[in-house]
Amino acid sequence: MRYGMVIDLDLCVGCRTCAVVCKEHNAQAPGTWWNRVFTPGSKYHQIPAEAEGGFSMYYLPVSCMHCENAPCEKVCPVGATYTDERGRVLIDYERCIGCRYCLSACPYGVRQFNWEDPKGAKARAGYQEGYSYGYPFPHRDKEGRLVYTPDRPKGVVEKCTFCVQYTDKGEEPICVQSCPAGARLFGDLDDPNSRINQVLRKEKGERLLEELGTKPKVFYLPPKRK
Amino acid sequence: MKTGNLALGFLGGLRKERGEATSGMSKANLVFRLGQVLTVVGLVAWGLQLKNGLFITGLRNPFAWGLYIATFAFFVGTAAGGLIISSAVYLFNLKTLKPFTRLASLSAFASIVAATAAVLVDLGRADRFYQLFFHPNFRSPLIWDVLVVGTYVVLTFLSVYFQLLPIGAKEGGRFPFAWATSLPRDQVEDISRRWTRRVALVGLPVAILIHTITALIFATQASRAWWNTAVLPPDFIAVAVASGTALVLIMALFTIDRHRFREFQGAFRLLSKIIGGALLVHFFFMYNDLLIHWWWGKEEAAGTLALVFGRYLPLHLIEVVLPLAALLYFLSRDGARSVGALVLGATAVLVGVFAHRLLLMYPAQNRFPLSLALPGKTGFWNYPIAVGQFRPGEPVFATFWPYLPTVLEVAVALLPFGLLLLISGWFIRNHPFLGESS
Repeated sequence: MRYGMVIDLDLCVGCRTCAVVCKEHNAQAPGTWWNRVFTPGSKYHQIPAEAEGGFSMYYLPVSCMHCENAPCEKVCPVGATYTDERGRVLIDYERCIGCRYCLSACPYGVRQFNWEDPKGAKARAGYQEGYSYGYPFPHRDKEGRLVYTPDRPKGVVEKCTFCVQYTDKGEEPICVQSCPAGARLFGDLDDPNSRINQVLRKEKGERLLEELGTKPKVFYLPPKRK
Repeated sequence: MKTGNLALGFLGGLRKERGEATSGMSKANLVFRLGQVLTVVGLVAWGLQLKNGLFITGLRNPFAWGLYIATFAFFVGTAAGGLIISSAVYLFNLKTLKPFTRLASLSAFASIVAATAAVLVDLGRADRFYQLFFHPNFRSPLIWDVLVVGTYVVLTFLSVYFQLLPIGAKEGGRFPFAWATSLPRDQVEDISRRWTRRVALVGLPVAILIHTITALIFATQASRAWWNTAVLPPDFIAVAVASGTALVLIMALFTIDRHRFREFQGAFRLLSKIIGGALLVHFFFMYNDLLIHWWWGKEEAAGTLALVFGRYLPLHLIEVVLPLAALLYFLSRDGARSVGALVLGATAVLVGVFAHRLLLMYPAQNRFPLSLALPGKTGFWNYPIAVGQFRPGEPVFATFWPYLPTVLEVAVALLPFGLLLLISGWFIRNHPFLGESS
C-alpha cells in the first residue's frame, strides 16, 4: 500500500479550510502550519497577481509531499524520519535530535521546528482558559515509534503525517474529509482501481519541482484557467 | 618593525616589566583566562537556550541554520588546515616549518573541539546525542561527519601528545606522560618520532576528509542552488588551508619572543605564501562557480546571485576584499617583514573566511527551494513558510527571513571561541610549544 493524494486546482476555491482543520486536528502550536494555501505570485491571498497580459489567480495548497525519494529521510542522521509500510513519511518525535538538516533539505518548506515548548506557545496565544484543541491521544506506529502527540517535545521537527492517527483507522486525512469543494482525493497509488489512479489515468497529474527527482506522492491537476 | 612592536605590546598584555623568557607563558596565561571567561559566558547562554529552546536565536523555519553552523564550518576549516600543515612537514620533510608542527597540531586539536561545541549547541535536543551512535543512518552525510570529526579529535590529540612526550617525560612525567619516565631518553625520543609520523600519515587524509564531508553536507542538497555544486568540497579544502595556516601563523607569532622573530622569518614567509596560494585557489574556484551560475541565466541561479550581489553584497565584499588584500600582501616581497603586518594579514584572512562561512547560509536559506518563476516577470516568488512563532500584529508566514543572530545567540557562539583560547592557552602555558629553528 502506498498512500497518495490528488489535488484538483480547478476545484480549489482557496478557502483554507484544509489548513485550519489540519492545524486544529493535529494540535499545531501558534505559528506552526503543516498545510498552507496561497495565491501564487500574489503578496496577499485571494488577490490576483500581475501576469503576462493581465492577471492570474489560482490557489496552491502545499503540505508534505510524502516523496518516494525523500531528501529529509536521507539526510536524517538518526533515522528519525522514515517511510512506513503505507508510504507515509513520518517522524519519530522521541528520536529526532533537532539538527534541522531536514529543514535545509526539504524543497517544499513543509518542515516545522519546535523552537520552543508548544505548551508555552499555546499558553501565550490568549485562548480562553481550559480551551485545548487537537486529537488528544498519543499515537504510535507498529514498532512503538511516537508519530503523533498533541504537544510535540521542544526541539524536534514536525510536519504533515497524512493524518497517521486517522489513516491508521481507515479514515482519510482531515484535509480530504473537510474540503468543501471536494478538491482533494486520497487513496492507494498501488491499487490500479483506486479513485486517485482512475483520475490520474484520465488527467495528467503534475508534481511540484519534478525536476529534483524527489517523486512526490501528492499530485496536482493544474488549473485550466489561471 | 614599528607596527611589529605595537602588535607585540598588544599581545604581551599590560605587564611590561616581565622578563623575555616568561613573557610567552604569561601571554598564554592571559589567553587561557580570556578563554575561561568566554567559555563560562557561552555555557551560561547555552544553559538558557536549553531551557527556553532555540526560540532565543534569530533562526526560524524559513532560515533554519545560521551562526552556529557557520561557526562549525569555520572551525572545521581551521582544524583541517592545522593538521595539513603539521602532517605536510613530516611527510614532505619541510624543514623550515618543523619548529611549528607542535603548534599546528595544537591549533588543529583546539579547533576541532571548538567545531564540535559549535555543532552541539545547534542541536534542538542535545540530550539525545547518543541516538547518533544507536541509530546511525549511513546515507546521511551528517553521520559521516560525526565519524570523521570524532576520529579527528582523537588523532589531533594524539599528534599533540606524542610530540610533547619527550618533554613531558623529562619534566617529571606527570599523569599522561608518567609511563615514559622509566624509559631511556633515546627510546622516548624514538617513540615520539615514530608515532608522530604515523599519526601524521593517517591524519592528513582524515584532515582532508573532515572538510570534504562537511562540504558534502551542503553540496549534496539539490534543493539549494547555492550549495549544490561539485566545487564546494575542493573549495572548502582551499579555504581550510588558508584559514588553518592563518591561525597557526597567529599562534606562532604569539608564542615566540620578540627577539627571535628574525630567526623564524623564513618559516613565517613560507606560511604566508601558503596562505596566499590557498586563497588564490579559493578565489579561482569561487568565481568559476559564480560565473557558471550566471552565464546560463537560469531563473533559480539568477535569484541566488541577486541575493549575493544585492542584499548580501556587504558580506560578499568582506569575504573578498579582506583576504584579497592579505593575499596580495603575503605574495609580495615585504609580506613577512614584521610581526604586526603578519598578524594583521592573518586576522584579515580569518575575518574574511568567517564572513565567507556566514555567506554560506544567507543566499541558500533566503532563496526558498519552492519558489515559482512569475510569467512575464523576472525574479521569483518564494512560497511562504510559517515562521514557527506567533508574533502578535505580525504575519505568521514569511517569504524572506532577515536573519540576524540575537545577543544571546552570539553569547552561545562564544563557547567554541572560548574553548579554542582555553585549550591553546592552557597547553602553551604549561608546555614548550615552539621547536628549535633549523
